[in-house]
Amino acid sequence: MEQKREHSFWKILGKNLFPASLQSYLIALGAIFSLNFILPRLMPGDPLHAIYGDEALVAMTDEMEAQLIRQFSLDKSWWDQMLAYIMGLLQGDLGFSYYYREQVSQVILGALPWTLLLAGLALVIATAIGIILGIESGFCRGSSLDRGLVASLMFLGGFPDFFIGILLLLIFAVSLDIMPLSGATSPYAGYEGLAYMLDVLKHLALPLASMVLVQLGGIFLLTRNTMVTLLGESFILTARAKGCPESYIKYSHAGRNSLLPVTTATGMHIPHLITGALFIEIVFSYPGIGSLLNTAIAARDYPLIQGILLIVTVTVLSANYLVDLLYMRLDPRVRYAH
Amino acid sequence: MLSIRDLKISFGKTQILSGIDLDLEKGECLALVGESGAGKTTLGLSIMGLARGSATGEISFQKKNLLALPEDELRQLRGREMAMVFQNVEDALDPVQRIADQIAEAITVHRCISAKNAGDMALRHLLSVGLNGEKARLYPHQLSGGEKQRVLIAMALVNDPDLLILDEPTASLDALTKADIIRLFRSAILGRICIVITHDISLAAALADKMAVLYAGRIVEMGRAESLIRDPHHPYTRGLIRSYPDMTTTKDLQGIPGRLVHGLSGCPFHGRCTQRIDICSRQIPKQRELDGRIIACHRGGIVPLLEISGLSHTFQANYVLRDVFLTLYEGETLALVGESGSGKSTLSKTIMGLHEPDRGQFILEGCSVIKRDAAFYSRVQMIFQNPKESVSHRMNVLDAVQEPLLVQRESSYEARLGRAKEVLDLVELPVDDDFLKRYPHQLSGGEVQRVAIARALALGPKLLIADEPTSALDPSVQAKILKLLMNLQEKMGLAMLFVTHDIALARKVSDRMAVMHKGRIVEEGATNEVLIHPRHPYTRRLVDCALGRYGMENAEIEMMVEPEPVVLEKYC
Repeated sequence: MEQKREHSFWKILGKNLFPASLQSYLIALGAIFSLNFILPRLMPGDPLHAIYGDEALVAMTDEMEAQLIRQFSLDKSWWDQMLAYIMGLLQGDLGFSYYYREQVSQVILGALPWTLLLAGLALVIATAIGIILGIESGFCRGSSLDRGLVASLMFLGGFPDFFIGILLLLIFAVSLDIMPLSGATSPYAGYEGLAYMLDVLKHLALPLASMVLVQLGGIFLLTRNTMVTLLGESFILTARAKGCPESYIKYSHAGRNSLLPVTTATGMHIPHLITGALFIEIVFSYPGIGSLLNTAIAARDYPLIQGILLIVTVTVLSANYLVDLLYMRLDPRVRYAH
Repeated sequence: MLSIRDLKISFGKTQILSGIDLDLEKGECLALVGESGAGKTTLGLSIMGLARGSATGEISFQKKNLLALPEDELRQLRGREMAMVFQNVEDALDPVQRIADQIAEAITVHRCISAKNAGDMALRHLLSVGLNGEKARLYPHQLSGGEKQRVLIAMALVNDPDLLILDEPTASLDALTKADIIRLFRSAILGRICIVITHDISLAAALADKMAVLYAGRIVEMGRAESLIRDPHHPYTRGLIRSYPDMTTTKDLQGIPGRLVHGLSGCPFHGRCTQRIDICSRQIPKQRELDGRIIACHRGGIVPLLEISGLSHTFQANYVLRDVFLTLYEGETLALVGESGSGKSTLSKTIMGLHEPDRGQFILEGCSVIKRDAAFYSRVQMIFQNPKESVSHRMNVLDAVQEPLLVQRESSYEARLGRAKEVLDLVELPVDDDFLKRYPHQLSGGEVQRVAIARALALGPKLLIADEPTSALDPSVQAKILKLLMNLQEKMGLAMLFVTHDIALARKVSDRMAVMHKGRIVEEGATNEVLIHPRHPYTRRLVDCALGRYGMENAEIEMMVEPEPVVLEKYC
């Protein structure tokens, strides 16, 4: 018993920082890195050819080719190639984008914040609104509020996100002309400070709104249905018998418990969110990863495509990891399960 | 303090509670028993204002009519003045909150109190139910069932409510934990009004001083808990107690035929009652008070079927029966035990009118028996020890079974055949023509005895006298015949006078036992009590012999001063 208590502090600390699920994330990350390393080398012909594509090779001088072969250690054993690849990754070296004539990592870093801003905000806002509406709707199941919300959000959730995006763009930017048509900032406006932020928000509003509207339905429905089930549970009856007011029952008992499945579902939803963001960015010409990927594909800039895919997977994995950590904060049964 | 008047609750068209009247004073604990679906939990929830159906009537608590109170005032009473501990301990606590916080919440929703003080109070209450401070920081899934139950009790008591409702509070606990929790309840219910909802009769007996039996939304019987369990008056209460064993139960468990149906006209139990009369299905029985017991039954509870008083019979100047008093109630088995020559068989034959007694009176279903006519024999029938002798070897099965119908002048052959098949089916015999044409010598002993039972049942009797009905059969057949008799009793409410010298057998089939010695009934009482604490030396000797202790000589009893017969109170 004594010994157990002695260990518990370190155990709990360790578990909070590095839960058992971290291992699986590391394995997934390793697998993705390996694929990224192996695939070009397994393609028929010359790895350089596979990595850089036909067009690049035509434009390539012997000098450049020799430099690249040295850089990728293509003249050495697989083991050395692997080491070189990993060292490159650790230094943030994802290769050279011949289309942008710049390091791939630099190109991605320029676009990534916009996507993170868009997708992250969409996730937070859609989840928050979805949960609140779901709790309210599930609590008074069958009321006109409930029926109205279910019908309208299911209707909205049925559209693909780019469709909603185009619709919003046509209404607010083209017909009404109250919103900017494209981009993330007004070009050459030279705003600074607060004005700059307002400008960013104004450009963000439409893509964000279309993403939120589409994401909202799923989260709302899940929360609402969980609420309906939870309200029939015994502990809700206990809470009522304690004399808890409605708001306590709604939020601190049923609502808090309904967060659990919603969190799991949100975690699993993140990849869809990213793909959604890619489409929306193209619709609104928003200068994020989506537009970048679009350009890269059009230009067959393979290093850039690979770099984007790598970054996107790493982002998704880290987001999922954060959701896992959050889930453990929310559900004590998982926290102490190991 | 708590008084309920004509409370009716209905969900849609189904009426769950139909007219409950209850009065409880501070310090009283009432056990509400009844099978699932009787409305016990609904009654508890409706007092708390948590029942979902629509309610009419009046629940007055602390001089307020709870049914008329606005929701917010009701909410303020809940948890502060009245608290409920729910069944289903596993799910009754919020899984994502620490237990101390959940208890503290029960305090903060009712009082202006700082979070820290509420937390301290919660800790104190957890300590008082036997959970230390370390447990307080845990989550529900980290506690055992018993610990969760303690948390729920602490939560219910934290605001010192006047009314405490416990709904199946020990249903999911093992015996030892249950004992701990019952001890805790005993101190918790002091000075409060307490309602224990349960189907566990032993729990009801341990906690409550009053007991109410609920059936299909009505209270059918209510009285002091101990006397109600020892001596149930309502047939439903008896059925309930019979199906719930305690450690001294000797008779095989019997159920109640049929199942609970809501919304019957008349007495809610009449469909399953074996002593129903016409009025039962037409009129709802009013609650009446009979010797300190409230009972709702048109027949005033379980009816005495046969009352024998002052019966004496001499044979060649020797008493064979001396001053026998005996009462047989509807649906019960009375075992008549004693050695050979003690007068058991004489008594049963005298009841059947095969001997004319010197003195004494028989009352059958409230009417004095003057002569043994056809009507008498359609109510009282007998089966004998040796089936091969009691069924004429010149009659085939059909003849034997339809004979009583012929005697009763049932002229139509179809009606006789139909009834014969019906009763043969009741005793689990085949009804094909081939079997009907068989003669006793073509059947096994067990089959012939079944034919004899079928013959006895042909007229639909209420009382069956069974004189050593199985002693001529081998053990496995005996077991089957006894099971059959018990099932018939459960189904038809047969009263049985079971005459035997085999105490072990009597123990398994009888509710009550009468011990005969030299023509007198020397001891009578509930079978388990008679066998565990035999008072009369003769009974003691019988029990000793049955247990395989052969200490006392017969002569020793003869030499002892003959004590007065011991007659315990009636017990079904």
